This record gives sequence, C-alpha cells and structure tokens, in this order.
Amino acid sequence: MSATGRRKIVVAGSGPVALEVARQLRDRGEALCLVDYDGERLEKARLAGFEVQQVNLQDDDELLSLGLGTEVDVLFSLLDNDADNVFLVISARALAPGISIVSISETEETVKRLQAAGATKVIDPYQISGYRIYEMVHRPVIAEIMDRTVFGTDVDLEIAEIPVPAGSFLDGEYLDRLSLSSRYNLVVLGVVDRDYGDHLIFATNPKRHRIDVDDVIVVIGQREELERLRKEMAGTA
Amino acid sequence: MMTLVLSSVFILLYDVRHQLGHWAVKFENLVVLIFIVEYLARLWVYDDIHRHIIEVYEESELINEPFRVSRAFREILRNKWAYVSSPMAVIDFLAIFPSYRPLRILRLFLLFRLFKLFRYAQNIQEFGSVLREKQAEFFTLLTFLLFILIVGSSAIYLFESSNYGGQIHGFFEGVYWALVTLSTVGYGDITPQTFEGRLVTMVLILSGIGVISFFTSIVVSAFQEKLGEVRDRQVLSQLQKKKGYTVICGHGRVGQVVAGYLHQDRQPFVIIDENREVVMAARREGYLAVHGKAQRLGMLRKLGVGYNARRILCLTGDDVVNVYITLTARQLDEKIEIISRANHHRTMKKLMLAGASHAVEPFKVVGLIAGEYIGQPVAFEAVQGILMGQEEIALEAVRVPEGSWLDGRRVEEAPLEELRLILFGVITPLERESDHVRHHYDLRTHRFQFNPGADFVLLGEDMLLVFGHRYSILRLRHRLKT
Repeated sequence: MSATGRRKIVVAGSGPVALEVARQLRDRGEALCLVDYDGERLEKARLAGFEVQQVNLQDDDELLSLGLGTEVDVLFSLLDNDADNVFLVISARALAPGISIVSISETEETVKRLQAAGATKVIDPYQISGYRIYEMVHRPVIAEIMDRTVFGTDVDLEIAEIPVPAGSFLDGEYLDRLSLSSRYNLVVLGVVDRDYGDHLIFATNPKRHRIDVDDVIVVIGQREELERLRKEMAGTA
Repeated sequence: MMTLVLSSVFILLYDVRHQLGHWAVKFENLVVLIFIVEYLARLWVYDDIHRHIIEVYEESELINEPFRVSRAFREILRNKWAYVSSPMAVIDFLAIFPSYRPLRILRLFLLFRLFKLFRYAQNIQEFGSVLREKQAEFFTLLTFLLFILIVGSSAIYLFESSNYGGQIHGFFEGVYWALVTLSTVGYGDITPQTFEGRLVTMVLILSGIGVISFFTSIVVSAFQEKLGEVRDRQVLSQLQKKKGYTVICGHGRVGQVVAGYLHQDRQPFVIIDENREVVMAARREGYLAVHGKAQRLGMLRKLGVGYNARRILCLTGDDVVNVYITLTARQLDEKIEIISRANHHRTMKKLMLAGASHAVEPFKVVGLIAGEYIGQPVAFEAVQGILMGQEEIALEAVRVPEGSWLDGRRVEEAPLEELRLILFGVITPLERESDHVRHHYDLRTHRFQFNPGADFVLLGEDMLLVFGHRYSILRLRHRLKT
C-alpha cells in the first residue's frame, strides 16, 4: 500500500531486522530514517540507500532532535537487545504519548514488558517463524496458500482496509449482504467500526452490522479488484 | 533348565550345613551331565565344521596341492576357541567344572543366561568403557596404593611382629591388616600394640581417607562426564521404535516454539542441539533430545534420517550450519521433507539449491508484518491473529468426503451462510478447471481456487477453505460426515 500523506517513520537499529523492515517500508513508499549509535553499521545502511542518522538513543535530547514528539508518527524500535528496546520504548513513549511504537522481542517475557513500556505493537519474530514452520508441518496446504497469496513475497492477493465514503453504494448495507464476492471477486472479512473501537468485527458475527460512513471494510482480493471497488465507491458517493 | 539351575544352587547351599542324601548326589551328577551335554552341543553348533573342511579342500584343489587335514583342523580349532573363550562360554564351563566346589556358585550366572540378562551386558560394557577413560588416574592411584600398602605392611610387620609382642604372625597378615586399615574398613581383629605400630596406623588411616576419596571422586566424575552420552544413547534407542517423526536441529527460540506446538499436537519429534545445557532444558520439558552436531552425517543417520525420520527442521541461528544440514539430509534421503530457517536473505537460494523443501526467514517475516502493520493495522492484526490460532475465528480446510451429500453439488448448496462461515476458496486437485473461478493458484500438489462462484461444483476430496468460528467449522465437519 502506498502511504497516504507523508508519514515520518524512524527506525531505530541497523541490524538485519531493521534493514529488512526498512526495505519493506521503502518498497511501500514510506519516508523513513534509520538511526543507531553504531557508526559502522549505519554506514552500511547508508550505502544500501537509506537516510541515516547517528544518535545516542539513550539521550532524550537527541531523541527530541530527531523529531520525536513533534514530526515523527511511527517509531520502530528494532535494536538487537531486549533491554535497549525496552529503554527506548519507555523514553519515546514519555516524549511522544501519541505516536505508534512498534518493537521486537527476543523472548516471550519481553513482549509484556515492552507493552507495559508503551509499545503499540510487539512483534516476536521467533514465535511467528516457529508457528509458520509448525504450520508447514501441520497443514502444509494452508501454509502454502497463505504464502502464495497473502503473506509471501510477490503475492497476488492482498488484504486491504477500504473506508466507506458517505453515500456510496455500501453505505447502509448489512455486512453479511454485501455480495462483493460475485460482483468484485473479493472476500469480505469484516468491518472496523470506529464507533465500537479499533477491533475487527468479522462478517460471521451473528449480530448483524449495518455499514455506515467512516466504517472500514476489510477485504481480500487482487489489487485491480480492490482498486475497482475503491473507484466505484467513490463514484457512487 | 531354570529349575535345574536353581535346585542345583539350592543343593550347593544346603550342602554347607547338611549331609546330602543318596538321591541328591545322583541328582547333582545328573544336573552336571545335562550342563556338559548342553555345553558340548553349543560348542558343536557354534560353527560349521564341514564348511571349513570343504573350503580348505577347494582351496587346495585350486592350486593342485595335496589336501591337508591339519590345516582344516587348525581353522576349526581357531573358531571353536573363539567360542570357548567368550565370556558366556567361560561361565558355562566353570559351572560344570566339578572338582573345585566354590566354583559351583558360578551356576548362578547361568541364570543370567537363561533370563537373557546379558542384553544388559551393553550397559555393563558402557560402565567399563567409562572407567577405562580414567585409566591414567586409576594407574596413579594404584601405584600410590601399592606403595602405601607395601610400606605400611612392612612397617607393621616390623613393629608388630609376634616376636616383639604384637599380633602379626606373618607378612601376609601385615598386608591384610594394612589393606583393612587403608580401606577404612578396620575390622579390629588385629590391633597395634606398640607406640610405633600405632603411629603407622595413624598415618595409614589418614592416607586411607585420601585414597578412598580420590577413588570415589574419579569414579563419580567419570560417570558425570559420561552421563550425557549414556542418556543420548538411551534416546536414540527409544527413537528406533518410532516412525515418521520430525528431527529438530537447534533448540533456540524458533526450535522451542516449534517443539512446543508439536508437543501439544502429540506429534513425535527429537531435538538435537550442540549445547548441552539446551539439551538438558529440552529434556526437562519432557522432549526427546540428543546432544551433538547435526551437520555430521553419522549423527543424522543415528537420528534415523534416511530410515524412519519423515522430516527434518534446520532451525539453528547459523545459516552455514543450516545449509550444511540441509545438504547432508538430502544426501541421506531423497524424499525427506526439509524445512530450514534462513537468517539472511541471501541464504534462501542456497537452501533451495541444497535441497530444502521450504525455507522461512524470521527477519523477513518481521519486515512483512511491520510493512503491513503500517499500511493497515487492524486488518493485518486480525488476519495474523487468525493464522496464529490466537482468535476464536480460525482459517481451516474442511474436506468434502467422497460420496457425501455435498459431493457433486454446487458451492451455493453448502450450508456456509447458515453456519456463518466465509468461504475463502476451494482446494482441488491440480488439473481442475472451472468457469466459475476467476483466479486460481497452483500449489505443489493442489490448486487453490480463490473465491469460487456459486455454481462451482464441489467433488469428493476437495477442501473448503473457510474463515469462521471454531464451533461453526466443527459443525460443518460434522454435517459433512453424516
């Protein structure tokens, strides 16, 4: 997905994980800056084409000078060490209460600690990889499908969040009566209604949900189909 | 046979205090006779005499030499001697050796044979080999012990000889006394009387404590060092009884997660790791674990790669090791499923070349998730939760059984809406074409028909890939069964 409006993203760390994340974000057209204390590794990242900045991440003033609390919207804390991540997350959360902070953890216990420190989302790479490997063992066909379609590289199907514009043909429809699967070759997973919070209401939910303005529907399908839906919704609005 | 041995031993013990009757002696002779016959019979069948004679005869025919009986006999004798000198045969022989009475107690060992107790001989051998590795230490200890013993017994003989009012009547008694004292057993049947004798005793007692503790520590440390190997061997022998298990190489974080899930599923697996502490930790969890390097061909073979192992997971943190294990495993078994972890993007290709069936990149996964998360946090979180099995809603494949009521019907007729399930797609055999599917994806063994139309016809053995509440999925499975 391309970014809507230039968000400013800071990626802390310059190890393999940080570089991989930076690469993915760049491919999605995000503006980002890699920061770390280790000059040598930063240099490598700079050679890979990223904007870099050498910063002492334990110093609040230097964090402020990065734009934390002012311009930065998202912070990725991807340092090699769990303790460093926790420390950075705490400092950042204190400086900038409103931003999203994403971090990684090496162990299960740190997940909770990072969340307590103020991380919005904690990714446990080993847990996820371990689960994926288990899936390959346990139900190889599903694992392969998800790899080929949604989660792998060069995938064809995408998961998309599509906001419903006021007055579009979906406005006022019931969630389980959308029939987008025949009209657009899309599978509707559910809807996020901001009035009820940030979680996804599944299309299978027995409480029937009527879609209204500013709801976001979550669908899986090919990019062209998603674009078509977006366009036609805007057209009917 | 067992009764014979037992009664023979009983007679032997009874004999100590009682007179044997006429029949008992006869019985004893009969038993010995049976043992002799058995011994000879075993000797006879141990190997084939004809074979040797024929072989020797043919050889001499070949080079036009006169056939020499002596050569054949030498050959035969050598083979028979191999039997006679084997431990089992020695015990048998001693058991029937009648002239020296105390040896008759060896008949008890026949019980070992009868109970097939010698299959534990391997363990005994293991203990032996453990101790053998401490040869140098034992030798030092033995030298020291001999030295002390000679000095001690000479001294006590010197000071405590009966000529000087002591209790020692000969050098042998001196040695006996010194050993009893040195071993800290100290019966007290002979006690030193003179001042010098008591001094010697004190020195001997002190060195005795040293010798004993040294000896104990050697044995204990030898076993502690070897305990791991002994356990590993146990694990491997347990493994030989299993089939279709998974070999997990590396019990780091990823390995632990996979092992945890497999354990939950009660799927058999074995862990191998280079780090002994990690192996111990895995054992504490109740997993089968072996200490060793998985990249070794011999080790993988021991783990049953190429025979009973169905798949191997290379999950170490070192890409070089993962590639190496992959290569080795593929070399051992063409069909085995290999799933490997790639810590670096460039390793993916190498793993595939080395023969991996699948590869997973943990860091890549983080990148993907981070990217998706930035784009659409809620949707991604939800789908990820489903895929990780953390939600009530699950993504599952439900098989359409052959001959069930849905076999041959259209997708529309499946009770998906009623059970509140979302159809993601249908998994069919590779060759299936349909006008009612706009996009399909070919997998290794199946074809995934994404979002099939209402008129898509389901056939037996197709699988419906559905999102829905776990209970709904359970109901659907149930309905398809009846």
